[in-house]
Amino acid sequence: MAGFTETRHDVNGIDTAVLTAGEGEPLVYFHGAGTAFGFDQLLPLAGRFRLIVPYHPGFGASADDPSVDSLHDYLLHYLDLFDQLGVDELALAGESLGGCLAAWFAIEQQSRVRRLVLLSPFGLRVREHPATDFFSIPDEEVPAHLVADMSLFAGAPVPPPPEFLADRYREATSFARVAWKSPYDRKLTKWLHRISAPTLLLWGEADRLHPVELAEHWAELIPNAEVRTFPGVGHIPVVETREAVDAIADFVGAGVAA
Amino acid sequence: MSAVDDIKLYFFHHHHYIPIPEDHERYRTSMVDYPNSLYDPELGHALYERHLRTITRAADVGFDGICLNEHHSMAYSMSPTVGLMAARYLTATRDIPIMVAGTPINLQYPNRVAEEYALLDVMSGGRMEYAFPLGTGMEYWANEGTVNPATARARFRESLDIVTRAWTEDGPFRYDGDFYTYRYLNVWPKPYQKPRPKCFIVGTGSEETVQLAIDYDMGYSIVFVPIKNQLRAFDRLRALADERGRTIQPDDLVIVVMAYVADTDEEAVREARPHMENFFSWFHRVTPRFLVPPGYVTTAEFLRRVSEAAMAKSTEATWDDMVSIGRIACGSPDTVAETIVSWCEEAGCSRVNVVLENGDMPEWKIAKNIALFADEVIPRIRKRLAGGGKDQRELAAAGVK
Repeated sequence: MAGFTETRHDVNGIDTAVLTAGEGEPLVYFHGAGTAFGFDQLLPLAGRFRLIVPYHPGFGASADDPSVDSLHDYLLHYLDLFDQLGVDELALAGESLGGCLAAWFAIEQQSRVRRLVLLSPFGLRVREHPATDFFSIPDEEVPAHLVADMSLFAGAPVPPPPEFLADRYREATSFARVAWKSPYDRKLTKWLHRISAPTLLLWGEADRLHPVELAEHWAELIPNAEVRTFPGVGHIPVVETREAVDAIADFVGAGVAA
Repeated sequence: MSAVDDIKLYFFHHHHYIPIPEDHERYRTSMVDYPNSLYDPELGHALYERHLRTITRAADVGFDGICLNEHHSMAYSMSPTVGLMAARYLTATRDIPIMVAGTPINLQYPNRVAEEYALLDVMSGGRMEYAFPLGTGMEYWANEGTVNPATARARFRESLDIVTRAWTEDGPFRYDGDFYTYRYLNVWPKPYQKPRPKCFIVGTGSEETVQLAIDYDMGYSIVFVPIKNQLRAFDRLRALADERGRTIQPDDLVIVVMAYVADTDEEAVREARPHMENFFSWFHRVTPRFLVPPGYVTTAEFLRRVSEAAMAKSTEATWDDMVSIGRIACGSPDTVAETIVSWCEEAGCSRVNVVLENGDMPEWKIAKNIALFADEVIPRIRKRLAGGGKDQRELAAAGVK
């Protein structure tokens, strides 16, 4: 399987890194509030689509821009980037913070989003099923909040090297710019009804950040949504089970000529 | 003659919540999430009374001023609203200045800080000095989410701009900032002292805070960080001031000294050491996460800190480490006086915040320490500054750095 190609784009002054692989219909994947796992687990999608994984401003290989301090700024940033990439209609997937962003993109850019996949998305506030505030988790407990299968960390150095910790601090800072105020995006409830694309919600049943019960609440608010959950899987399904990656491929690929 | 011919000694008080719990090892920190179910208001009341006795005692015996500070959600400090504390101590003492060091302005609306501080200055007839802190990382964890550590430094600069303009310019005027909008910025009262009370930035010596002191024509009050960092920050401040045609005066610079006086050096160390050690090991027990919330420092600064082993175990520093890097003056009257004077001369500063109550020190030791400092140390410092002291060669020979 071929790997990603990284290209760099000046997006309104922000040096933005974009990973791409494969050809065909554009499938954009918005990552969450951390990039430590990398994205190789998504590469099977490149067999069927033009897979595009941009690093958000302030994450991974993209530059910082402290003035990007709302998800709306992210959304406008990506409108600029997609203009440069020649991406008009697209399939869109997003995990966690990226799921919330993908939802907003589909709310505001209805006609461009053909299919939408939200993986344990950030932001919906349901009183009976509170999210865990990422910022409230002690450092050493973060890994167990991200995945259920701790063997994924086997062989990782303890404690992690300073550079690794600094990368996480930088991404936490970027996340804090948009989410320190609250682990909820209170406007979602009001506007999710505008999503017209067929939508798939993927959720790990052992998600300790965003409880799996939230999936049905998202599905109730989005007009054409279905839910699939994965037993024994944590917050980032694509790193724990190939089934999640295949589910994206099958859902996005439905109706598209191979 | 040295550049420093006068030293003002301010009595600095932490307002700790004492004692240390017997099962303190259960807690990774005495701050932010240390449960307030452990707070006993009757004990708190008794401690406020004791702290009042301590501070009025210091004011009575000849200190040049009092310095109070503010922290939130921690056993380290029972002073979450320092303006109120200052009001109490203004009426409990006469004449001497009070340095309020201070409300982290980011945690308040800046016009409210300007009003409150001006109110104290007018009520006291001009006894106030103010030092402005960014606030520790811990304050950001303990306060409302609108106050974002990722924008703390930009907000702090704007808040300082608002406070100083509200004091020194005639209102009403309009202010359109990045964080705050005022249609009628017009604080009543304005300060008693003109153009405004003496002000300082409180900080660890970071480039950003040094720059703020220059930009807003303030002094710099440095917290308990290694001496070499203090000297570097003061040098930077003088260099930046020089570029602007300003001269940093000795009384623009404040150092903090933990001091304990006894008849001999040995007795002083024996009596003070356990309390100074638990000042760091308990009252300043904090996790790295609470020290640096996201965005509170730059990624480069964060990397520098995590790369320094010292940060990971800052509360486990040994006595020798503490004494060798920090301003801890523990000893006979001669030792303490000479140490403080030599530190002032080295730093080019004439303002010292002296901490005589450390950790869980019992009241008898505090009273004894204050009395000896007033009777034996202050006169030696005055005499030395008047030219009656040892010269630098004698000091070097005596091993005083």
